[in-house]
Amino acid sequence: MLRKKIFGSIMIAALLPGIIAGCSSNNNENAGQTNSAQTTNTESTQGATDDKLVDLEVWWANTGYKGIEKDSPLYKQYADLLGVGVTSPYVEWNGGTDYLNTLNMKIAAGEMPNVFLPWNGNETDLAKNGAIADLTELLPEYAPNLWKLIPEDVWNVVKANDPTGEGKIYWIPGIKGYERTTGMIRKDWLDTLGLQIPKTQDEYINVLKAFKEQDPNGNGIADEVPTGGRQNARWMDHLFNMYGVAMVEGYPDWDIYNGELTYSAVSPNMKDALAFIAKLYKEQLMDQETFLNDKAAWDGKVDGNIVGSYFQWAESSYLHLGLIEQSSGVKADFSVLPVLEAPGYEGQGFITTKQVGNPEWVVSAQQDDEHLKASLKFLDGIADQSKWMDIYWGAEGMHYSVADGKKTKLPDDKSTQQNRLTPYDQFGNIEFKEQLLTESASESDKWQFEQSIRNMKDLQQYVKIIAGDGLPSTVYTDYPDIKNYTLWYEYATKIIIGTYSIDKFDEFVDKWNSSGGAEVTKRAREWYAKLGK
Amino acid sequence: MQATGRFYQHARKCWPLYLMALPGLVFLIVLRYIPLGGSIIAFQDYSLFKGIADSPWVGFKHFKILFDSPDFYRIFANTLILGFLKVVVIFPVPLILALMINEVRAVLLKKGIQTALYIPHFLSWVIIAGIAFDMFSLNGIFNTVRDWFGYAPNLIMQDERYFRWIYVFTSIWREAGWGTIIYLAAISAMDPQIYESATIDGASRMKQIRHITLPLLLPTALVLFLINLGSFLDLGFDQVFTLLTPMTYSVGDIIDTYVYRSGIQEARYSFATAVGLFQAIIGFVLVYVFNRISKKVTGGGLW
Repeated sequence: MLRKKIFGSIMIAALLPGIIAGCSSNNNENAGQTNSAQTTNTESTQGATDDKLVDLEVWWANTGYKGIEKDSPLYKQYADLLGVGVTSPYVEWNGGTDYLNTLNMKIAAGEMPNVFLPWNGNETDLAKNGAIADLTELLPEYAPNLWKLIPEDVWNVVKANDPTGEGKIYWIPGIKGYERTTGMIRKDWLDTLGLQIPKTQDEYINVLKAFKEQDPNGNGIADEVPTGGRQNARWMDHLFNMYGVAMVEGYPDWDIYNGELTYSAVSPNMKDALAFIAKLYKEQLMDQETFLNDKAAWDGKVDGNIVGSYFQWAESSYLHLGLIEQSSGVKADFSVLPVLEAPGYEGQGFITTKQVGNPEWVVSAQQDDEHLKASLKFLDGIADQSKWMDIYWGAEGMHYSVADGKKTKLPDDKSTQQNRLTPYDQFGNIEFKEQLLTESASESDKWQFEQSIRNMKDLQQYVKIIAGDGLPSTVYTDYPDIKNYTLWYEYATKIIIGTYSIDKFDEFVDKWNSSGGAEVTKRAREWYAKLGK
Repeated sequence: MQATGRFYQHARKCWPLYLMALPGLVFLIVLRYIPLGGSIIAFQDYSLFKGIADSPWVGFKHFKILFDSPDFYRIFANTLILGFLKVVVIFPVPLILALMINEVRAVLLKKGIQTALYIPHFLSWVIIAGIAFDMFSLNGIFNTVRDWFGYAPNLIMQDERYFRWIYVFTSIWREAGWGTIIYLAAISAMDPQIYESATIDGASRMKQIRHITLPLLLPTALVLFLINLGSFLDLGFDQVFTLLTPMTYSVGDIIDTYVYRSGIQEARYSFATAVGLFQAIIGFVLVYVFNRISKKVTGGGLW
């Protein structure tokens, strides 16, 4: 026993210096190696900045298409087009919720994507913590296209909304050069029944009654749904906007009521609008299942040739026209429904629009200079309008095919197609959209695209930029149930289906104010005053 | 010293058993116990950038926010009512179902029924909610049948009066068949001699069920009941969330859906954790109390 111990000690004593020496010499060597590696690295990058492709991880909304791996078709296309390597893993979107969770997890793990779409106001926290790059100085120098593309007053709103309060630019906002949404009505049904496009609320009600009773689709069944919308009282703005209610795709928004910036959901205009819609519901002039309709269910009814009047993106109406033709052989005509005159309302109704879109891109501050420059190069590339057509077409063989020198869009297939960038939706103008629709058409479906273009132009006469344009989501901090419309959904839907009488609206206003709405309103008005409009 | 010695002896003898238990232990430690430490963030203003170590401590702030929330009482009451329905109405169904299946004599029929009852368990709540919405839509089977009898259609999915019963109905449809498995296993393990002697004594089938099968099943039912109580406030987010519409918030908005809305969606992780902790503590207290009661009354319990 004792002998063993002594032997062990001797062995250790003998080996110890060697171990120490070995360690230290290793250290030296390693240090030397890294040093030299670093120097060679910097040399090589300096020498070859122009040809070397920098890979970026870029995240944006992906509703089910494939991600972009290195050296895949879309990677190669973007490398040619934008001069940077774009990789983008598939991240479940789910209305933005899953995307945000995955993004937050990545950020917590210190693996922030180089450039990404912020969501639900998380750019505020990122900017405050210095996690995303201050772009104020960088944009004019490294992304001149983008700098010019976005108007100066929009940049000013972004600066005013800087959460650090220093007037810096932390994110790239989307801009809307034109409004997309509008109410639409089946002009061909009106013609069949010998009716005119309605201009007033009363005329509209008469038309809806005729749609319901006189079988305009001619199939002998009273299956027509005069009008309607989707769950949470969304996508039925055409029933609200005649009362001057500021509303974006079903979400109430901020405008001037009684001389002050006010949430439209708690304005007296909203009460009138809800009373009118509740009447439509009661008389069964709108889909009784409106608030149970998800997108697929409601689109299904529109495409099934039974809906007379609905609210959607004008420029996408060709999709529905194609499907209606497929299902019933009818060449439908959805025309723009004017903003109606409502009895008792003296103001002018309007379709709500905003010029300042949501934050679309932020750039990580946790990257080296090389990647930062590449990130800006990426942003500058997608802001270059001459590249949009190519970006829209995507990769040959995957998104489109070429026959006789003419490109043809391949049918949408999420299982094989990679997720494309859509800068034309983020920054686009109406001229580009028209060009895009024109080029997408083939001989047989040209009439559908022509209708979309006509509607898209037609609706612009009803549009108004609301006063709440650019209001930052930070005004909702600490009041999530105000921000995500919980109270509004509940009261609006219950008043419309008749569970609540319209008198309950006043209770809603009180509740909204007491559960945080008053504070939010105060913040919004402070912001508005600061904007100096 | 002696105890550890005995453990080693035991471990050497039964090492395959210990080896088999190992993955389970590792699972529990890695995925159940270590994350418990993360509950700390319930008392912090957790920031992604600062991490757990540097996030500021805020004490019970998030619990206060929860209790002060204007909707808290509505949400808590809804949770309790649904929890109560779960324990009182839904819980006994598999037991009754198992007794009934057990009485089916034709083997093929029995297997067929069992399989048919298991299948819904493998459908996700998203699908089941979709089926429910379809069944009760204007063109669904429910309103079609109403139409035959001359009744006007009724959209019960958007009517707050029916929400709770839809919750019960879908729970039973999806889980009752699956829940019979444990009972059926317990029944098949019962000693046939008891039944034979009962038959000789002239006990009818009904009497056999009442006086033999049911009493012998009670300990199993009790354990399941106690486990169930542990998740009393944990009603299954998926189910309620997929069935919920704004028109039924007033009866169906529960703690889980509230946390999803104002915690997870808003990336307020500290708040979400605080609520989770609150639910867990209620569950723990319930299990503890009922375990005590059960030990006193029946002499058996979870531990």
